[in-house]
Formats: sequence, structure tokens, C-alpha cells
Amino acid sequence: MTRWRAALSPSNCALLGAAALLALAPFVLPVYATTLATEALILGLFAMSLDLMVGYARLISFGHAAAYGLGAYACGYVLLHTALPMLGAIAAATLFAGVLAIGIAWVCTIATGVSFSMLTLAFAQLLYAVAFRWTSVTGASDGLAGIPRRPGPFGLALFDSRTGFYYLVLFCLAAGFLFCRALVSSPFGAVLRGIRENEAKTKALGYDTRRYKIAVVAIAYALGGLAGALYAPFAGFANTELLFWLLSGQVLIMVIVGGAGTLVGPILGAAFFLLASQILSAYTDSWALFFGLLFIAFVLFAPEGIWGLLTSRLVRPKARAATPDAAA
Amino acid sequence: MPLLELDGLSRRFGGVLAVDRVSMRVAEGEVRAVIGPNGAGKSTLFNLITGVLAPSAGEVSFDGKRITGLPAHRISQLGIARTFQVTALYPEMTALENARLAAQAREKGRWRPLGGGATLREAAERGESALARLGLGALAGRPAGLLSHGDQRLLEVAMALAQDPRLLLLDEPTQGLSVEETAQAVETLAGLFAAGGVTVLLVEHDMEVVFRLAERVTVLHRGAVIADGTPAAVQAHAEVQRAYLGGFS
Repeated sequence: MTRWRAALSPSNCALLGAAALLALAPFVLPVYATTLATEALILGLFAMSLDLMVGYARLISFGHAAAYGLGAYACGYVLLHTALPMLGAIAAATLFAGVLAIGIAWVCTIATGVSFSMLTLAFAQLLYAVAFRWTSVTGASDGLAGIPRRPGPFGLALFDSRTGFYYLVLFCLAAGFLFCRALVSSPFGAVLRGIRENEAKTKALGYDTRRYKIAVVAIAYALGGLAGALYAPFAGFANTELLFWLLSGQVLIMVIVGGAGTLVGPILGAAFFLLASQILSAYTDSWALFFGLLFIAFVLFAPEGIWGLLTSRLVRPKARAATPDAAA
Repeated sequence: MPLLELDGLSRRFGGVLAVDRVSMRVAEGEVRAVIGPNGAGKSTLFNLITGVLAPSAGEVSFDGKRITGLPAHRISQLGIARTFQVTALYPEMTALENARLAAQAREKGRWRPLGGGATLREAAERGESALARLGLGALAGRPAGLLSHGDQRLLEVAMALAQDPRLLLLDEPTQGLSVEETAQAVETLAGLFAAGGVTVLLVEHDMEVVFRLAERVTVLHRGAVIADGTPAAVQAHAEVQRAYLGGFS
């Protein structure tokens, strides 16, 4: 009974509604918009994966493009050089990014705060340099081109078409979201929040905080890698831009503009970023400048992001009325 | 066998010997206070015991086992809980969530990444009873950052108790409290200690608090132990009076 009531909470109903709308989108949207929506969902998954680190454990990564690029290159390489079907290649690339992240995180978590952030950036730049030099595997400055959407297994060709691929991405995002939501409300997630608010205290309580941090980085990289692995067959190519620090900065902006620590917010932030860049770039080449101004406006006037703005309109007034003394 | 044994424990910061060959034994069930003027090395001593700092020399043993050099989280898992001199809480979490996270550290499923509802419920129950023991039950749903300073100090003790520790280290539990708050906190703590079952090592500044709570007192001065005994004996000790009353040695 209570279970049913919890399952039908307003936020769950809103999410179900959003999922239904997204599922219907390809039937109503024009072709180019479906492509754009697919990219927005991929970026949404990418931003949500970073939110696990930034929003829940206050692990600010300046190099999350590393996860995306690793996934994209790995998936592209497998599709170009083996007979593995697309779904297998995506799974392998996700695993690859997650496993490699354990090593990266092991090194990065030796440091904390800004030093941690700089180390994540260093690893991303390292991978960027490797992608530029390791011509036989990465195609150097040309990147990997002509990445196919190979059907299978068992001749399963559902996801090759534009619409089919959209549904594959939507499924990955929905599954990723449900996974992340379960993760942050688990005992593990409670410890992450402890690390976010006071790591020394969390250690003193008996938690091996470094292990938790390595674990969450590995999970975030795996999900970011999944986003990258979806991008490679979506775009048909993978190049060094996917590992560039600019993308790391952009995804961090998506998380902050969307609302860190909310999972849904960064997905909205990614869609907002993509849409704004599309619209602004139609008018000016220096669209990044104007987006920068938007970003500054968010940080100054809506630090809780798009999701914070939406929920404060709907939920906050009630919560405030219920606990009038909480603000004192 | 003492529950906690320090043997020749020293810690040097550059040219300063903050803790100087401290040896001390705390028996099971004892309530022991460590007193001394500011800068006597009391908090450093806590950090050496709990593994936050590594000693320059000497040994720490807990329950007969050497724990020197173990990382802080491993030492905590042996059953040592502490509070900090400067209140250390999770300000955005509610009082209950604070206590729950403390209790969760002693649960088998504390790391579970998915599910784990039973672990969280169990931890919440233990957290709730710890809050109740310190009279914070009514504030369970309040964010810790919005509690009064006095309640925050007590919440930190509740978090330590939620871990069901064998040894409880309290670093100046009445630090920064008003006279009334101090009196209230001392009564709450006295009731808690009287109920028994936990060994306490207490760092304190306020002599009245020490005499009300502790059965035995160790006096630190400039990092070294200068006296050790019952509160009355320590009070009569000439060197202690010099250290406290502004004498020069």
C-alpha cells in the first residue's frame, strides 16, 4: 500500500510523464529535431554521470571529457576493427571506461579539492595527447571515421535507424537515471553525501572515504563512457575534440546550470546547453560568449540551477509553510 | 589489561614537541579526563590515538593490540568513537540523518550501492535511540546546521554513541557553550556515564566540568604528563597549580 503510494508520488508521476513525452517525440518531431533530441539525451546522460561526482560527493572533475572520449574511441575502434554488434561494442566501451577509471581515480584521489580537479584535467589532457599520437588506433587528428551501426546480435536491427537509435539512447538514459537514483539513496549514497559535507568527519566515523570516492568516479566514468559510446555510432565518428578540455568545461557548466546534486537537473542542463548553442550560433559565431553570460547569470541569480528554479516554484512554498521555524 | 594504553607517545611539529613521551593507561569502564592549559597537546594526543596524525615515536595499544599507524577509519572500526573540538557535523543533513550515518558505519551493509533499505532503517533506529539518550529526540528532523551550538555539541556526542563504541573520546564537549548550556550538557553527560558500559577519555578545559564527570585526571603541560590521579589529588598537586595559575617552570 505505502509502496504504491510512494511509487505514485508527484515527482515519480512527473518523471513518468516526461518519459512518455520523450517516447512519443519521434512521432511528432521533424527529422532534424529527432537527431538533435538524440544528441541532447546523450549529453544528458554524460552530464548526469558527472553529477554523481560533483553533486553528490563534491568531487569536481575538470576532465570528464576523458570518460566520454574513452567510451567513444573504444566503441568506435571495436565497431571498425571487430565483428562485434553495436550493442556489444557499447557495453564493452562502457566497461572499458569504468575499469580504466579505477586507475585514474586511484591516482586522482591521492589529492583533494582543487588538486583533485587538476589531476582529473591532467589525465584528460594525457588521453588527448595519446589520441593525437597513437595513429594506428585513434587515427590521430583525423580521428575514427565511418563508424558503423552494426546490427545484431541475432540480426537484431532495431536500433540502426534514426528513430531506433533515439529509442536506444532514451532507454540508456532512463536506465542510467534509475540506476543513479537508486545509488544515491542507498547506504553508499549516504556515505557520498557525508564525504560531500565533511570528509574528515566521515573518515573519523569509520568509512574508508577514498574507496568510496574511487568507486563513484569509476561509476561516473562508466556512465560517461556509455554516453561517449552512444555518441560514436550516432555521429559516425570519434575525434580528439571528444577528449578536449573544452568539453570537460561544457559538461561541468551543464551540471551547474541544470542544478548539481539532482540528477534530473543536469539532463535539463544538457538539453538547455545544446538548444541554446544551436539557437545562438544561428545568429553569431561568438555564441559561446553569450552562453557564458547566461552561465554567469545562473551562478549569480539561480545557483540551484534550472531544476532548482522549477522545484522552488512548485514545492518550496509548501515546505517553507510547513516548517516556519526552520529558517530562523 | 587496560583498554587503551599509550607508551612513550611523542609528536613533533618542526621544532615543537607537541606531545612529549606520554604514557597512560585507561581501564575498561573508566571515565578519564585529560586536562591542561591551551596548547598543552590535548587535541594532538586525540589525533594520535585516532590515527589522524602519525606519532613521531611511541605506541598506542587498544584492547591489547598495537594500533599505531593504522588509518583513522580502521581505528574507528575497532570501536573508538570521537568528537571534535570544533564541532564536526553534516550541516545540511537532519540531526537524524547525521546520527544514521554514524550508526551506518557499524552496519555490515554500510557500503551497499543498490538497495540496502534494511541497513538504512536499522541505522536510523540506532541513530534515533542515540538522539533520545541525549534528549535530542524532538529535533531529529531539523537540519544540523540550524541547531543551537549547544545542541550541535550534543548531536556530535549522539553520533559517537550511535556507533556503540567501546572507547569514547570527547574533545572539550562544553567548548563554546554558555554557563547554562554547560550545566545542562554536563548533567546529560553525567547521566550517560553513570549508566555505564562505555569507557571515556575526555579532554577538558573547564575544571568544574572535569571534577563533575571524571573519576581520574591526567594533567598535560607542554606536551608532557605532569600529574595523574583522582581529581582531588590532582587539584592539590603543586605543579598543576603552577601550570594553571600562571607560574613559570
